[in-house]
Amino acid sequence: MLRELTSFFIMVFSLLYIYQLSVLASRNAAAYNSYLGLLRNPVMILFSTIILAFCLYHSFTWFYLTGKVQPVKIGKRTTTPVMSLVVNTVLMAAVSYGVVQLFLLGGL
Amino acid sequence: MAGSRTLSMAARVHAMLWGVFSLGGFISAFLLPVLIYINNIAYPLGLWPAGSTDPTSILVASRLSTLFIFVTVAGSLFHGVFRFMSTLPELGLRGAGEKLAAVGYAIAGTAIVMLIVYLLALNPGLLRLP
Repeated sequence: MLRELTSFFIMVFSLLYIYQLSVLASRNAAAYNSYLGLLRNPVMILFSTIILAFCLYHSFTWFYLTGKVQPVKIGKRTTTPVMSLVVNTVLMAAVSYGVVQLFLLGGL
Repeated sequence: MAGSRTLSMAARVHAMLWGVFSLGGFISAFLLPVLIYINNIAYPLGLWPAGSTDPTSILVASRLSTLFIFVTVAGSLFHGVFRFMSTLPELGLRGAGEKLAAVGYAIAGTAIVMLIVYLLALNPGLLRLP
Protein backbone atom coordinates (compact mmCIF):
# COMPACT_ATOMS: atom_id res chain seq x y z
CA MET A 1 0.00 0.00 0.00
CA LEU A 2 2.92 2.32 0.74
CA ARG A 3 4.18 1.72 -2.79
CA GLU A 4 0.82 2.72 -4.19
CA LEU A 5 0.82 5.85 -2.02
CA THR A 6 3.99 7.03 -3.77
CA SER A 7 1.88 7.58 -6.88
CA PHE A 8 -0.22 10.19 -5.05
CA PHE A 9 2.83 12.29 -4.15
CA ILE A 10 4.30 11.92 -7.64
CA MET A 11 0.97 13.18 -9.03
CA VAL A 12 0.90 16.12 -6.61
CA PHE A 13 4.44 17.23 -7.44
CA SER A 14 3.82 16.95 -11.18
CA LEU A 15 0.68 19.11 -10.93
CA LEU A 16 2.46 21.65 -8.68
CA TYR A 17 5.34 21.86 -11.14
CA ILE A 18 2.98 22.41 -14.06
CA TYR A 19 1.38 25.20 -12.02
CA GLN A 20 4.84 26.69 -11.43
CA LEU A 21 5.46 26.63 -15.19
CA SER A 22 2.10 28.35 -15.75
CA VAL A 23 3.09 31.17 -13.40
CA LEU A 24 6.49 31.46 -15.10
CA ALA A 25 4.83 31.49 -18.53
CA SER A 26 2.51 34.32 -17.46
CA ARG A 27 5.63 36.58 -17.54
CA ASN A 28 4.43 38.17 -14.29
CA ALA A 29 7.67 38.53 -12.32
CA ALA A 30 5.88 39.49 -9.10
CA ALA A 31 3.63 36.43 -9.26
CA TYR A 32 6.56 34.12 -10.00
CA ASN A 33 8.66 35.60 -7.19
CA SER A 34 5.67 35.12 -4.91
CA TYR A 35 5.53 31.43 -5.89
CA LEU A 36 9.26 31.06 -5.30
CA GLY A 37 8.65 32.63 -1.88
CA LEU A 38 6.00 29.99 -1.25
CA LEU A 39 8.59 27.31 -2.07
CA ARG A 40 10.81 28.80 0.68
CA ASN A 41 8.05 28.42 3.26
CA PRO A 42 9.18 25.86 5.88
CA VAL A 43 5.89 23.95 5.58
CA MET A 44 6.37 23.71 1.82
CA ILE A 45 9.98 22.57 2.26
CA LEU A 46 8.79 19.90 4.72
CA PHE A 47 6.09 18.79 2.27
CA SER A 48 8.65 18.71 -0.55
CA THR A 49 10.94 16.57 1.59
CA ILE A 50 8.06 14.14 2.14
CA ILE A 51 7.39 14.09 -1.62
CA LEU A 52 11.09 13.41 -2.28
CA ALA A 53 11.13 10.62 0.31
CA PHE A 54 8.13 8.93 -1.32
CA CYS A 55 9.63 9.43 -4.78
CA LEU A 56 12.89 7.80 -3.69
CA TYR A 57 10.90 4.95 -2.11
CA HIS A 58 9.19 4.50 -5.48
CA SER A 59 12.59 4.49 -7.19
CA PHE A 60 14.14 1.91 -4.88
CA THR A 61 11.13 -0.42 -4.91
CA TRP A 62 10.84 -0.06 -8.69
CA PHE A 63 14.51 -1.01 -9.13
CA TYR A 64 14.14 -3.97 -6.75
CA LEU A 65 10.99 -5.26 -8.48
CA THR A 66 12.58 -4.85 -11.91
CA GLY A 67 15.37 -7.14 -10.73
CA LYS A 68 12.82 -9.61 -9.45
CA VAL A 69 10.70 -9.65 -12.61
CA GLN A 70 13.53 -9.49 -15.13
CA PRO A 71 16.68 -11.17 -13.80
CA VAL A 72 19.64 -10.99 -16.18
CA LYS A 73 21.76 -14.03 -16.86
CA ILE A 74 25.49 -13.22 -16.93
CA GLY A 75 27.46 -16.33 -17.80
CA LYS A 76 26.42 -19.01 -15.33
CA ARG A 77 25.08 -16.54 -12.77
CA THR A 78 21.77 -14.72 -12.60
CA THR A 79 21.38 -11.24 -11.14
CA THR A 80 19.44 -10.81 -7.92
CA PRO A 81 16.93 -8.05 -7.08
CA VAL A 82 19.49 -6.49 -4.69
CA MET A 83 22.03 -6.27 -7.52
CA SER A 84 19.40 -4.54 -9.67
CA LEU A 85 18.68 -2.13 -6.82
CA VAL A 86 22.35 -1.24 -6.32
CA VAL A 87 23.20 -0.88 -10.02
CA ASN A 88 20.11 1.18 -10.82
CA THR A 89 20.58 3.40 -7.77
CA VAL A 90 24.14 4.16 -8.91
CA LEU A 91 22.76 4.83 -12.38
CA MET A 92 20.11 7.16 -10.96
CA ALA A 93 22.78 9.07 -9.03
CA ALA A 94 24.86 9.36 -12.21
CA VAL A 95 21.85 10.58 -14.23
CA SER A 96 21.02 13.12 -11.51
CA TYR A 97 24.60 14.39 -11.51
CA GLY A 98 24.51 14.59 -15.29
CA VAL A 99 21.27 16.58 -15.26
CA VAL A 100 22.66 19.12 -12.82
CA GLN A 101 26.00 19.44 -14.61
CA LEU A 102 24.70 19.52 -18.18
CA PHE A 103 21.46 21.42 -17.91
CA LEU A 104 21.95 23.66 -14.94
CA LEU A 105 25.60 24.36 -14.30
CA GLY A 106 26.81 23.72 -17.84
CA GLY A 107 23.99 25.69 -19.45
CA LEU A 108 23.36 23.10 -22.18
CA MET B 1 -10.53 -20.34 -32.15
CA ALA B 2 -10.41 -17.07 -34.11
CA GLY B 3 -12.02 -15.14 -31.26
CA SER B 4 -9.24 -16.06 -28.82
CA ARG B 5 -6.56 -14.71 -31.18
CA THR B 6 -8.05 -11.28 -31.61
CA LEU B 7 -7.93 -8.73 -28.85
CA SER B 8 -10.72 -6.26 -28.41
CA MET B 9 -9.91 -2.61 -28.95
CA ALA B 10 -10.35 -1.98 -25.22
CA ALA B 11 -7.84 -4.71 -24.38
CA ARG B 12 -5.31 -3.27 -26.83
CA VAL B 13 -5.74 0.25 -25.46
CA HIS B 14 -5.39 -1.13 -21.93
CA ALA B 15 -2.18 -2.94 -22.90
CA MET B 16 -0.77 0.27 -24.43
CA LEU B 17 -1.67 2.23 -21.29
CA TRP B 18 0.17 -0.35 -19.17
CA GLY B 19 3.20 0.10 -21.43
CA VAL B 20 3.14 3.87 -20.97
CA PHE B 21 2.61 3.33 -17.22
CA SER B 22 5.73 1.15 -17.12
CA LEU B 23 7.76 3.72 -19.06
CA GLY B 24 6.48 6.44 -16.72
CA GLY B 25 7.61 4.34 -13.79
CA PHE B 26 11.17 4.26 -15.09
CA ILE B 27 11.06 7.97 -15.87
CA SER B 28 9.83 8.92 -12.41
CA ALA B 29 12.35 6.53 -10.81
CA PHE B 30 15.37 7.93 -12.63
CA LEU B 31 14.55 11.55 -13.43
CA LEU B 32 12.03 12.85 -10.92
CA PRO B 33 14.11 12.83 -7.71
CA VAL B 34 16.68 15.31 -9.03
CA LEU B 35 13.95 17.69 -10.25
CA ILE B 36 12.19 17.58 -6.88
CA TYR B 37 15.45 18.12 -5.03
CA ILE B 38 16.82 21.03 -7.04
CA ASN B 39 13.52 22.89 -7.49
CA ASN B 40 11.78 22.31 -4.16
CA ILE B 41 14.60 21.74 -1.66
CA ALA B 42 18.06 22.88 -2.81
CA TYR B 43 16.99 26.22 -4.31
CA PRO B 44 14.60 27.30 -1.50
CA LEU B 45 17.18 26.36 1.15
CA GLY B 46 19.95 28.32 -0.58
CA LEU B 47 21.91 25.15 -1.41
CA TRP B 48 21.76 26.13 -5.06
CA PRO B 49 25.19 27.20 -6.33
CA ALA B 50 24.27 28.90 -9.58
CA GLY B 51 23.54 32.42 -8.41
CA SER B 52 20.09 33.83 -7.96
CA THR B 53 18.34 32.37 -11.02
CA ASP B 54 15.97 29.58 -10.04
CA PRO B 55 16.51 26.14 -11.61
CA THR B 56 13.24 26.09 -13.58
CA SER B 57 14.05 29.38 -15.32
CA ILE B 58 17.37 27.89 -16.39
CA LEU B 59 15.81 24.62 -17.50
CA VAL B 60 13.20 26.21 -19.79
CA ALA B 61 15.82 28.27 -21.62
CA SER B 62 17.12 25.46 -23.83
CA ARG B 63 15.52 22.75 -25.96
CA LEU B 64 17.19 19.72 -24.43
CA SER B 65 16.42 20.70 -20.86
CA THR B 66 12.85 21.61 -21.87
CA LEU B 67 12.55 18.11 -23.29
CA PHE B 68 13.87 16.83 -19.97
CA ILE B 69 11.09 18.71 -18.14
CA PHE B 70 8.41 17.41 -20.49
CA VAL B 71 9.53 13.78 -20.35
CA THR B 72 9.98 13.84 -16.57
CA VAL B 73 6.75 15.64 -15.65
CA ALA B 74 4.43 14.08 -18.26
CA GLY B 75 5.80 10.58 -17.71
CA SER B 76 5.61 10.87 -13.93
CA LEU B 77 2.13 12.38 -14.01
CA PHE B 78 0.72 9.62 -16.19
CA HIS B 79 2.41 6.95 -14.07
CA GLY B 80 1.11 8.50 -10.86
CA VAL B 81 -2.45 8.89 -12.08
CA PHE B 82 -2.59 5.41 -13.63
CA ARG B 83 -1.21 3.75 -10.50
CA PHE B 84 -3.41 5.78 -8.15
CA MET B 85 -6.53 5.02 -10.17
CA SER B 86 -5.62 1.32 -10.20
CA THR B 87 -5.43 1.45 -6.39
CA LEU B 88 -8.96 2.81 -5.93
CA PRO B 89 -10.64 -0.64 -5.78
CA GLU B 90 -8.29 -1.60 -2.91
CA LEU B 91 -9.48 1.49 -1.06
CA GLY B 92 -13.04 0.21 -1.24
CA LEU B 93 -14.02 2.54 -4.06
CA ARG B 94 -14.84 -0.17 -6.58
CA GLY B 95 -18.22 1.33 -7.45
CA ALA B 96 -17.11 4.91 -7.86
CA GLY B 97 -13.72 3.73 -9.12
CA GLU B 98 -14.56 3.93 -12.82
CA LYS B 99 -15.93 7.46 -12.55
CA LEU B 100 -12.96 8.59 -10.45
CA ALA B 101 -10.61 6.94 -12.94
CA ALA B 102 -12.23 8.85 -15.80
CA VAL B 103 -11.83 12.10 -13.84
CA GLY B 104 -8.21 11.21 -13.05
CA TYR B 105 -7.31 10.51 -16.68
CA ALA B 106 -9.10 13.69 -17.78
CA ILE B 107 -7.04 15.70 -15.29
CA ALA B 108 -3.82 14.00 -16.41
CA GLY B 109 -4.61 14.53 -20.09
CA THR B 110 -5.50 18.18 -19.58
CA ALA B 111 -2.42 18.77 -17.42
CA ILE B 112 -0.11 17.25 -20.05
CA VAL B 113 -1.66 19.41 -22.78
CA MET B 114 -1.23 22.50 -20.57
CA LEU B 115 2.38 21.44 -19.88
CA ILE B 116 3.04 21.48 -23.63
CA VAL B 117 1.31 24.88 -23.96
CA TYR B 118 3.37 26.43 -21.14
CA LEU B 119 6.67 25.00 -22.39
CA LEU B 120 5.97 26.34 -25.89
CA ALA B 121 5.02 29.73 -24.41
CA LEU B 122 8.31 29.82 -22.50
CA ASN B 123 10.37 28.76 -25.50
CA PRO B 124 8.57 29.79 -28.72
CA GLY B 125 11.39 28.58 -30.94
CA LEU B 126 11.20 25.11 -29.45
CA LEU B 127 9.76 23.36 -32.50
CA ARG B 128 11.70 25.38 -35.05
CA LEU B 129 14.30 23.39 -36.97
CA PRO B 130 17.90 24.48 -36.19
